[in-house]
Amino acid sequence: MGVTPSGEPLLFAPARLPVLSSGEQSIGMEAPAPMRFVLNWGRRYSLWVFNFGLACCAIEFIASSMSQHDFIRLGVIPFAHGPRQADLMVVSGTVTDKMAPAVRRLYEQMPEPKYVISFGACSNCGGPYWDSYSVTKGVDQIIPVDVYVPGCPPRPEALLHGILKLQDKIAGERVPLKPSDKSVRPSAAAFTRPFVSPPQALHDGGTTPVRHKVHGLREPVQLEVAAEVPAEVPAEVPAEPEET
Amino acid sequence: MTPDEVGARLVELLGDDVTAEVTFGAVTVDVPADRWIEAVSVAASDEQVAADYFDWLSAVDELTDGFSVLVHLWSLTLHHHVLLRTRIPRETAVLPTLIGVFKGASWHERETHEMFGIDFAGHPGLVPLLLPEGFEGHPLRKEFVLASRVAKQWPGAKEPGEHDDGSPSRRRMLPPGVPEPGTWGPE
Repeated sequence: MGVTPSGEPLLFAPARLPVLSSGEQSIGMEAPAPMRFVLNWGRRYSLWVFNFGLACCAIEFIASSMSQHDFIRLGVIPFAHGPRQADLMVVSGTVTDKMAPAVRRLYEQMPEPKYVISFGACSNCGGPYWDSYSVTKGVDQIIPVDVYVPGCPPRPEALLHGILKLQDKIAGERVPLKPSDKSVRPSAAAFTRPFVSPPQALHDGGTTPVRHKVHGLREPVQLEVAAEVPAEVPAEVPAEPEET
Repeated sequence: MTPDEVGARLVELLGDDVTAEVTFGAVTVDVPADRWIEAVSVAASDEQVAADYFDWLSAVDELTDGFSVLVHLWSLTLHHHVLLRTRIPRETAVLPTLIGVFKGASWHERETHEMFGIDFAGHPGLVPLLLPEGFEGHPLRKEFVLASRVAKQWPGAKEPGEHDDGSPSRRRMLPPGVPEPGTWGPE
């Protein structure tokens, strides 16, 4: 595993770089090979992973992040603090139709470049729930998927293999110098949602938050602050064992 | 109390139109639908039964016989449990709500409402709890069509003789959620 194999042409041999011209021609132009190599090299070994664990497959995913399998040695860093810090999303588990908008939204919050591994039969195609009324038939119906890992659930080794496949894919990526079309990039407003307000009860004209009347069926609890706190709590002195 | 004793006690308290049956070590008490709340309150408040912990409430689609609605109660002090069951007709699937007895029955009734289309009279807000917005139909009813199963045949064999492999053929069976051919879907 030599870094610079002898006998082969140097990777960073001086190459004739394409001339950057101003104007329309530079749009869509690709980075030269050495730059591309460095960019892809950095990307493939620094994959901050965002765990979208939805079902039992998440256990296998967590297992592969632990010391036995330890995917951090492949450069996959567990775990990103949120989708905005993540490069790789691993969807592990059953995606339901109710969950699908959240998957989509969190994917959209990830910065480019972003990659998705679909882990397990359920997120690949619905798996054993292929005929269910509530399960999405594969996460690729809502977000683009780079690597599919089959299995029900897959072994952690399968995820390691999937990560290697993804790294191979990243290594061969073309890197455009400029975004080819700025109009396809969504604006920041697309990721912003208004604040969620509590639903109102249906039966009292919408004056009471619904959680007190319908969901929890518990009247709002008034926290009673003890008016009189004993000034001195008599400290209990443990009886010392008598020495004999 | 043993399951037999729990059942006998509830029959004694509630009268002759109530039957108790012990199956697999658990007692099921059948009550008429108009005495549903009374039966649950008696099971919860009687000193000998004292089934005061509401565990769950759900329903069973019995096809032409309507729906069975079940509630499972547990006694925290006496450590026995009881299933109360009632039967409501399919056309008018209405039952009084239990949230006057157990407030925690609210979510279970909401779930039963969206899954079976059973109405719980007196419930303050039967809004869908689990299904996504805009979902049509009641998916745990047996007439609910599973479009995936209609569009794609079951990949495995359900019955011997389905695949003309020479094995003896039994009666043709349709999996649940698949209507008879020609009665559903695009022409």
